[in-house]
Amino acid sequence: MSWVNIADLSVAFGELPVLSRVGLAIPRGDIVAVLGPSGCGKTTLLRAIAGLVPIADGEVRVGDRLLSGGKVRVAPERRGIGWVPQDAALFPHLTVAENIAFGLRGPAWRSPEARAARVTELAGLVGLADHVKRTPAQLSGGQAQRVALARALAPRPDLVLLDEPFSALDPMLRVPLRREVADVLRDQRSTALLVTHDQQEALSLADHVAVMMGGRVLQWGTPAEVYRRPATPWVARFVGDTVELDGVWSADAGGRSVDTVLGRVPAELVGEAPASGSRVRVVFRPEWLRIEPEGVGVAATVTELSFVGHEGLVTLELTGGAIVRSRALALELPRPGQVVSVTVRHPALVYAHAGLGAAAPMPQPSQP
Amino acid sequence: MTTTAGVGERTRPPLLLAAAAALAASASLIPVVYLAVRAVEAGTEGFVATLLRPRVLELALNSVALAASVTATCLVLGVASAWLLSRWRLPAERTILLLSALPLAVPSYLVAYGWLVWSPGLNGFWPSWAVLTAVCVPYVTLPVAAAWRGSSGDLEAVARTLGRGPIRSFFSATWPQVRGAALAGSLLVGLYSLAEFGAVSMLRFETLTWGINASYSASFDRQQAAVLALVLVALALIVVWAERRARGQAVTRVARPLPRGVMPRRWLWAALAVVLAAPVVSVTVPVLGLGVRLFSAESIRALDLPRFASAVGATLGLAVVGSLLVLVFALPIAALTARYRDRLSRGIEGIGYLGHALPGIVVGLSLVFFGLAVVPWAYQSLLMLLFAYVVLFMPRAIGSARSGIAAVAPALIDVSRTLGDTPAASWRRVTARLAAPNIAIGCLLAAIAIMKELPATLLLRPTSVHTLATELWTRTAAAEYGGAAPYAAALLLVASVPAVLLSTIRSTAREDES
Repeated sequence: MSWVNIADLSVAFGELPVLSRVGLAIPRGDIVAVLGPSGCGKTTLLRAIAGLVPIADGEVRVGDRLLSGGKVRVAPERRGIGWVPQDAALFPHLTVAENIAFGLRGPAWRSPEARAARVTELAGLVGLADHVKRTPAQLSGGQAQRVALARALAPRPDLVLLDEPFSALDPMLRVPLRREVADVLRDQRSTALLVTHDQQEALSLADHVAVMMGGRVLQWGTPAEVYRRPATPWVARFVGDTVELDGVWSADAGGRSVDTVLGRVPAELVGEAPASGSRVRVVFRPEWLRIEPEGVGVAATVTELSFVGHEGLVTLELTGGAIVRSRALALELPRPGQVVSVTVRHPALVYAHAGLGAAAPMPQPSQP
Repeated sequence: MTTTAGVGERTRPPLLLAAAAALAASASLIPVVYLAVRAVEAGTEGFVATLLRPRVLELALNSVALAASVTATCLVLGVASAWLLSRWRLPAERTILLLSALPLAVPSYLVAYGWLVWSPGLNGFWPSWAVLTAVCVPYVTLPVAAAWRGSSGDLEAVARTLGRGPIRSFFSATWPQVRGAALAGSLLVGLYSLAEFGAVSMLRFETLTWGINASYSASFDRQQAAVLALVLVALALIVVWAERRARGQAVTRVARPLPRGVMPRRWLWAALAVVLAAPVVSVTVPVLGLGVRLFSAESIRALDLPRFASAVGATLGLAVVGSLLVLVFALPIAALTARYRDRLSRGIEGIGYLGHALPGIVVGLSLVFFGLAVVPWAYQSLLMLLFAYVVLFMPRAIGSARSGIAAVAPALIDVSRTLGDTPAASWRRVTARLAAPNIAIGCLLAAIAIMKELPATLLLRPTSVHTLATELWTRTAAAEYGGAAPYAAALLLVASVPAVLLSTIRSTAREDES
């Protein structure tokens, strides 16, 4: 039995549906990233779980408690759910210590010593033991975000919700801080749900990833599963770089290969099986294509090279005019204009055309 | 994305808050409704007959003529001052800017008194026009200067490069940027000129407000007073409606500050004359007159010390109790309208702001009727007077408190809720704490207004209660200029106490923001 169970959760603002039958089952102690483009409903999902927006249908359970569902709507202050908003939202009239202690109320925290000890513990945990007497105005963005995390964790919530906690920060700060936040969450054995539109953040931080689009969860899985076997071409594009080709599916190939401009290549079918002889969408990750010396595989000319230090993304034009991209280590990079050949080192993903999600908008081009 | 997430969800206000706000706002409806009831009580025929009396028409025309001429003068003088202040370098700029706002601090009847001290024969249209214009100019100068500081001077330069002359570029490129602010400001001037009672009655110019007081107190013609009051309310509502429309046009944006011109020496004196005309007429001359009278033997001999002390006490006491009462009524409305913009909330807000359009004399008169007929036990009690202050000055407190509450980020409330606060605890620990400076400012604005209030206080006060304002008015009306001087001086002093408090709150509020 999972610790957090969200079933058929729907939310609407007036007539406008924002979430449609969202389901998530989160094991205790897991860090889950909800990944989706702006406006996909992921922040609303968090607010619905926290009890800050009313739900139209479905239910939310944490542990053995029903928080939302049917006639039940537990008030936000009785849910035991911590909340870390996007911009930290520290109380400007309180010091760092007072912010962390804000939720330490009720019978368990009656003694000032217990409160002080918890504040000291958390301030130390987020590396701000020297800053407890400061006001929020005297903190940097990263420090404020860490105080917001400490404040949410202080009352030992059953679940912590983090709403794009790193998006307002300098990119240089983001990577170390999210490592640190993950460590703190694991240290406190917290179950956490984090929403983000940053693929790298979701894949590097989380135990599980839920990809959301248009108010629905399109895929649930570990970061590796979501990256290696995306449920739709849209998910594939959203979580990483893709090379997409048209192909022809043939049943007599035994369901294991597909014909493309790269020849007949090994394939893995995702979703519904297409009819034999029908056109399909074939998706590779750029690192699944290998650049070899001329004559080994399909001939191609290097047209463009984008170099990022340790590796590079190579754009290649095949003899038939098709364009593919390959990721290669810096030491192996060819020169623009060089004639090389391309081989396939990982089975291609094959999607039936019906399942392409034609209605799905193109995601923003992902940064290589 | 997160910042807007709160908007779609919070469409329905909590029932208890909406009910409290509706109850508070309905206080403003009592005077208008009761006035209308009273005016038509004697039947529609009697109402129409009174309305068509030549005297009513004459008073209405006087009011309109005065309001229109003051408004037009303020528009021209205010725009000219704002242009000089925002587009040219002047010597001692900060002082001049401060001086140009100073007329706002002086009640108009005190200005009239200060001029009567010098020249007791002053009376009629022109002196009233001059006094009101001098007092009201800042209502145009300040918003227009602010709009100009926020507007882009490049537009005028672009118009010049596209072949328009300086004057045509001014009207095609520069004027549209401040037109909204200028119109809204001058319509506010129109509203205050219509509602003005103290100065015009001291200067014996017979407007609607003068007529209401005269019909009520001298001839005790209640029906004529009610009809005059209704005519005045109708005129005021027209002006308010126009002001709301004009305010919609006001452009506010932040742009690069303009390079300002250096005023040639030979024009400097003319420029200073334009900018300083209003402060000289409304502050320098009256305060000098007051000072001369204050220290004359006649004034000191005439001073009845116990009576003077009781007037100071009454003014302070009414201001403290009244402003707290105003706050009690204003807070639910402010809390509601800061967070919810549905139709119900906007309706409640509109009613709460009604007092802004109602002249003090109208509220006073209507509550006299209301007290006599409905709650005789409250007639001529302090309760009725305090209620009039609530109706009249609630809008000031609502506006200030609302902006303070709206500035508290909804995310802070969400966080405090998830940390275990009930809505009430969240209001106490977060919203009220953060909005406290603005709530206090609203309270002080109401206190200042109550100290200076004259017509409603004259009509509603218990016979034994005298404030500094009523004492100043009755003594001036009886031409006892020397005897009035200590009261005028005390009023200026006492009313400056909340003003000083106000400036300290404003500066601490700003430190918190940084």
